[in-house]
Amino acid sequence: MKGWVNVTAVEASTTGIRSIEAEAVPTRFARGWHCLGLSGQFKDGRPHTVNAFGQKLVVFQSGDGGLNVLDAYCRHMGADLSKGTIKGDELACPFHDWRWGGDGRCKKIPYARRVPLRARTAAWITMEQDGLLFVWNDPEGNPPPPEVAIPRIEGATRDDWTDWVWQEIVVETNCREVMDNVVDMAHFFYVHYSFPTYFKNIFEGHVATQIMNGLSRPDARPPGKGPRMLGNSSVASYHGPSFMIDDLTYHYDDMDLKSVLINAHYPIDGNSFMLHSGIIVQHSDKLPREGAEAMAQKLGDFILKGFDQDVQIWKHKTRIDNPLLCEEDGPVYQLRRWYEQFYVDVADVRPEMVERFEFELDTTRPVEAWKQEVEANLARRAAAGRQA
Amino acid sequence: MTIRADNRLLDGAPMQPLDCHQCGAEVEVRKASWHQTSVQWSAQALRACLERRAARSGDGGGPDHGLFPGCTALRESIVRAALDGALAVPED
Repeated sequence: MKGWVNVTAVEASTTGIRSIEAEAVPTRFARGWHCLGLSGQFKDGRPHTVNAFGQKLVVFQSGDGGLNVLDAYCRHMGADLSKGTIKGDELACPFHDWRWGGDGRCKKIPYARRVPLRARTAAWITMEQDGLLFVWNDPEGNPPPPEVAIPRIEGATRDDWTDWVWQEIVVETNCREVMDNVVDMAHFFYVHYSFPTYFKNIFEGHVATQIMNGLSRPDARPPGKGPRMLGNSSVASYHGPSFMIDDLTYHYDDMDLKSVLINAHYPIDGNSFMLHSGIIVQHSDKLPREGAEAMAQKLGDFILKGFDQDVQIWKHKTRIDNPLLCEEDGPVYQLRRWYEQFYVDVADVRPEMVERFEFELDTTRPVEAWKQEVEANLARRAAAGRQA
Repeated sequence: MTIRADNRLLDGAPMQPLDCHQCGAEVEVRKASWHQTSVQWSAQALRACLERRAARSGDGGGPDHGLFPGCTALRESIVRAALDGALAVPED
């Protein structure tokens, strides 16, 4: 321990029992771009209800083709605009037919000579890219700075990639839980039955990255008749507080399968969020169009299963601000320090929240332990098979 | 939300300052074992890093969207410091 400074942990109490600490969930919602899902679903000529950021929003396509997001409650008598109808460039309220533009202004009241003063509701800045609709949330009301733009996903618009296979589920907990997955290597083995062998995190600016390589688990998914999956390599980055792009390659004995996985969410309120996954797969000689599409579906189902595995943990766990980490855990505290930048005013973003931090995990001991566990599982299964 | 300190930094080795042998950038480093490394950069260190500068000037997006995976010269500096004892590495 030479050269180390020992500081007594704050929570050391007379009993020696570690207490779990948790502040209330934040009362504001993260500043940043949030994906509302496939943009096509909002283009059916009808307004759509979206519960997000503790509010009810309405998404509608105006005559010019653009997608608009407004506060759903009409400033006249409080009716729900998402139950209204689209009339040309405007959204008509179902209660008294007041016409609202995508800019949040009331354009016309058919039965009135003029629109009253202050007939303006909250409008969100939207962005459509790669088949997805994004909305900019900023409690301070500033426009999105260009440097936090969501990067383009090349495969999303290319002919040699599949279309999006998209899934959405409501999760009844605060969205910090899903962010923690960025750094939580060990849960990938215990909860998702994968086998990480390399794990590194990089946080810088508004981007948080996870680099992970892994092996397949013969004890979790017995090898079938088709090509044998050996493992995967993944580079996954959150661009802001809610939108993760994962360049994910599956390695088979006879080919590599390239895919892009999206893991995104938007908060419904402080205690629930909408979790999205999207996947596209690149066609190849071994996996032409139809095979790739079937594979994307299969992977989509697999990811949904993965979400459910997380949900089973989140449903029953408690919020914890002081996780007790061992050296083989990832940088949970530094991830949360990074995440905090989205919950404070821009003027209050401190250097430590955005300065580059790298953490390379030592997987020696985990890999040893997990190899033994996989072998034990296989041996147990073989023994049970012989008995049957 | 309060930003809390990593319990491992409170109870184990703290981050230690280290200069890169190539560009002199001062970062903070910690090793919990031979294969674990934490690196805390400052904005100043990042500006000084030559590999980082080269990576930024050639940043064309790419599949990893301009991700800088890390500086190899700094990595070497850390290994050297660990080997010659300037950087503490706990024994198993």
